[in-house]
Parts: sequence; structure tokens; C-alpha cells
Amino acid sequence: MALNCPRCGGDQNRVEHQGKENGTVIWTVHYCTACCFTWRDTEPALSIDPAKRRKVFQIDPSHPERFGVVIPVVPR
Amino acid sequence: MNKFSDLPIKLASSVRSLRDFLDLLESHDQCITWPDPIMPEPDIREICVASGQDVPGAPAILFDKIRGYPDKRLVTGVHGSWANLAILLGHPKNTTIKAMFYDIISRWGSDKAQLPRVKPDQAPVHEVRIERDINLYDILPLYRINDFDGGYYIGKANVVSRDPLDPDNFGKQNVGIYRIQPHGPDEFTLMSVPIHDMGRHMQAAEETGKPLRIAVMLGNHPAMAMFAATPIGYDESEYAYASAMMGSPIELTESGNGLDIQAHAEIVIEAEYIHGRREFEGPFGEFPGSYSGVRRAPMFKVTAVSHRKNPIFENIYIGRGWTEHDTLIGLNTSAPIYAVLKKEFPEVVAVNALYQHGLTGIISVKNRFAGFAKSIALRALSTPHGLMYLKNLIMVDADVDPFDLNQVMWALSVRTRASDIMVLNDMAMIMIDPAAVNPGKGHHLIIDATTHMPPDPIGGDVEIVSPPSGPAIDALAARIRALQGGN
Ligand SMILES: [Zn+2]
Repeated sequence: MALNCPRCGGDQNRVEHQGKENGTVIWTVHYCTACCFTWRDTEPALSIDPAKRRKVFQIDPSHPERFGVVIPVVPR
Repeated sequence: MNKFSDLPIKLASSVRSLRDFLDLLESHDQCITWPDPIMPEPDIREICVASGQDVPGAPAILFDKIRGYPDKRLVTGVHGSWANLAILLGHPKNTTIKAMFYDIISRWGSDKAQLPRVKPDQAPVHEVRIERDINLYDILPLYRINDFDGGYYIGKANVVSRDPLDPDNFGKQNVGIYRIQPHGPDEFTLMSVPIHDMGRHMQAAEETGKPLRIAVMLGNHPAMAMFAATPIGYDESEYAYASAMMGSPIELTESGNGLDIQAHAEIVIEAEYIHGRREFEGPFGEFPGSYSGVRRAPMFKVTAVSHRKNPIFENIYIGRGWTEHDTLIGLNTSAPIYAVLKKEFPEVVAVNALYQHGLTGIISVKNRFAGFAKSIALRALSTPHGLMYLKNLIMVDADVDPFDLNQVMWALSVRTRASDIMVLNDMAMIMIDPAAVNPGKGHHLIIDATTHMPPDPIGGDVEIVSPPSGPAIDALAARIRALQGGN
């Protein structure tokens, strides 16, 4: 089942790792390949529920040129 | 012996590794193991924030019951209090900040580095070696430090890199602390800017197409964590510096990719720069207490990981102050500003740049004539650190201890006239100041709270009270502390 990213709403996500106790999965870490957000499914809603997250922390990754670059790529 | 206590400094200088230091802290009741099982979020950050409320005395906290991470260990707060710093420097744990400042100043410029070499196959850091199927999320108990961080940050790594244009130059090998955000099992972004040594290395690699290999050391000698954050010369070695300052050896070995690393580091991540690639990085709750935004940052590929058996992942809580960040680097921010000023102006007595990396600084000077302190303040703003960081600068007289805020507030209250305030518009500033109108450019503020001197008129028939002071009073204060049961 494709999960949607809590930060950008995209569905291009992959599972990074799962924590287990007595052979049972107790949490899963996901990574959004569109906006690079990482989250664990057991985190407080404030961090991972799009409805509860502050809007200022949501991003639209479809226009990367709108974001600054910290070490500009050197033209060759 | 050292001049601030009767305790032998030998104990502190026998520390060879993070583990040694945790043992030393524990023997002073300054390291605890968290007793209960916890979830990575929100438990770790909540415990760290609670601990950070005790800036003078908080212990380091070792976590070994993180749910979903059996057999993994994490430590936070190693440099999180003045007591822990005092122990690192070989002093009683209730040593004053002022005494620690002068101790660090007295060690400044020492050139007696001891850097013995350990063969890689005998170095503890290489006890376990992972070269395939690397998964940072499996190796490290990673967690979100602040609610809205973009990922799970590694905040207290010592990153080693060599100048790609001069890879054999030991001095130009840099060790710095840069924030790292894992992006998947074996990739991470590293936040640097062109002015940093690491930023220079990345730009040079990209310009020439040469490879740039790095080693990310986690769980370091406690002096390395402290002094890697100190601004020193481009061609000076942080290893030599940390060893000389501690008066004790730091044992080095070689990483699998050819860098000099600490033989007793807990974990070393070897990685290679991916030329031309930038990925979203951030936000991250930074030291001014605000989130830095989302930017696109350079990416590295992990090529191998070495670690000690049962390694300890050392990380930091950073966010809205006061946090471990401030105790970790406060004195090392103050000392180089003092060293630069003192050379030209022996009237400078002490520099307190403890507050959020020096965004607010307090300098005490022996005032010579009207306006003198303002000129010292301007010189402070042109030191390498002051240029970008000293935003609010308060100048006080030599009779005011800049580390004692009650005294500083007294000086502000009784010595400052409104005309003693200078605003310098549109200067260089750090990008991540949350008050910035234009990030990277802003105003500096100087408040001269020194006494008025000729040719300025001094008001009325005022005489300042001079309570008894000097070594005898300091000794009485120390005796009172000792009678209280401190040691
Ligand atoms: Zn996303």
C-alpha cells in the first residue's frame, strides 16, 4: 500500500527500516523520494499527520529551483 | 596540579576515548543510564529537553532500551553542562565559568601535540567492519530531534576530509562538525557553506573533478567534540590542537578510505562525495532556536562503516536554548575572540560569547578614555567569528565579570546612557538568525556599559562603592562552596 508523504503528499515513498520486538514489527521508517522527508509511523501526529502539521512546514518539491542551494554546483 | 584547584589534572588527561570519559563522569555522578524502555520519538527529545534545564549540573544520559533498537546504545548530553565540562578540563564540577575561561585561555597556543599511531588492524574502531548492505537506520538508533526536522539528524559527528588539491597535507586535513541528514540506507546530505573548510573541499573537488572521500566519526574523544567546533587556521590540525589543549594523546589510525581517524572512535562512516548532486535538506532546529529552512545540499554515498563492538552513538540535542550546543562550544567561541583582541589591546580582560554562538557577547575592558570601549567593540566585530556572529555586543568595565549576568545588568542599569548605543546597519550576519530581515545581512548593536571618562563629563557627585575583592575574596567564596559540600 502506497502511503502518502506527510510533508508533500506524494506517494513516491519507500521503507527504510523496521524496528521489531519479539519478531513483531513495532515501527516502520519511511522516506519520500520526492521531498526527502523521513518519518516513523509511530511518531506524534504533530510530526506525521498532514492535518496536524503546521502548514509552514509543508513543501511542494515540484519546483526545486525555488529552493536555495548551499554549495552552488560549480559550472565546468 | 592546575592553578584553579588542588585536584590532579592527571585524571582528566588519562581519558583516551568517549567510554573513558563516560566512566569518569559516572564516578562524579555526572552520567546516568536511562532506566525505562523508550520510543525513539518523542521520548528521546523530551528527556533531552528536560535534562537541558539544568545547565550547571545535567548529567550525560545513556539510552540502552530504545524500543525497536535492541542492542543499540545512544548517549546525549556528554558536554551538556558546566559540571561535565569542568570534569573534562580536570576541575571540580562546581568550578566557575570564569575560571574555566581563564584555564582555556592559558592552554591556548600550546604546541605539545601527542598523536601516536595505531595500526588499523589493531584499532578498536575497526573491530566490526561493514562493507555491504549498509543501512544507517539499522546501525544507528536514529530519531527526530525536533518535531518538524526534515529527517533524523546526526548532530555531533566529527567529519574528516582532506583538501582534494593537496591530499597529502596533514595540516590541511580538516575535522569539523557539520549536520548530517541520512537520505536512505547509505546516503546522506552534509550541510556546509563555502566559507567552511569542508565547503572549500567540496567546491575544489567539483571544480577539478577529483574525488573527495570523507570519514564521519561518531562517539569521539571528548576534547575532539569540543575543539572540532573551534575556529582555527585552515592549515592547522584539529587533532593536534585538541591533543595539545588537553595535554594528553589522541591516538590516530587510518580509515578504510585513507583518512586519519581516531583509533578509539565508536563508529566511523566512510563516504564519498557525489559530484553535482543536490537534494532537499532541512528544516533543522538550529542553535538560534529556530528552524533553518529547506535548501538543496550536497550528497555523499556511504562506502563502508567501521565500529567498536557494542558501539555508542553519541548525538546532541539542539534547538531552542539553552542546549548542549551552547555548553559544548561556548568557551571555545569566547577564547579565540579574546586571543585576537588581547594581542592588540591588552586592556581586554575577558570575553563572554556563550550565548547562542556569540549572537550576544559581553566583553570586559580596562577603560582608558571616553569612547575607548566602543573601538574595542568595533575590533571585536572584525575578528573572524565576530564578523558574522557578534550581533549584540555589551561592553563592560574590568570590575564587571562578564560571565555574571547580575553584574552585567548592574553595569547596564547604572552606566549606560542612550547615547552609548551604536547600531551598525547592513553588516554581514549569519544566515540562520531568526530575526534577520535579509538572511546573511543585518544590523549589529553595541551597548557601551563602561564608566564615563574624560573628556566626557561624569554626572554629579557620584562615587561607586568598591566592595572587597581579589584573591582573598575568591578564596573565601571557594571555601563557602566547599563548606556547602561541593567538591
Ligand atoms: Zn514528500
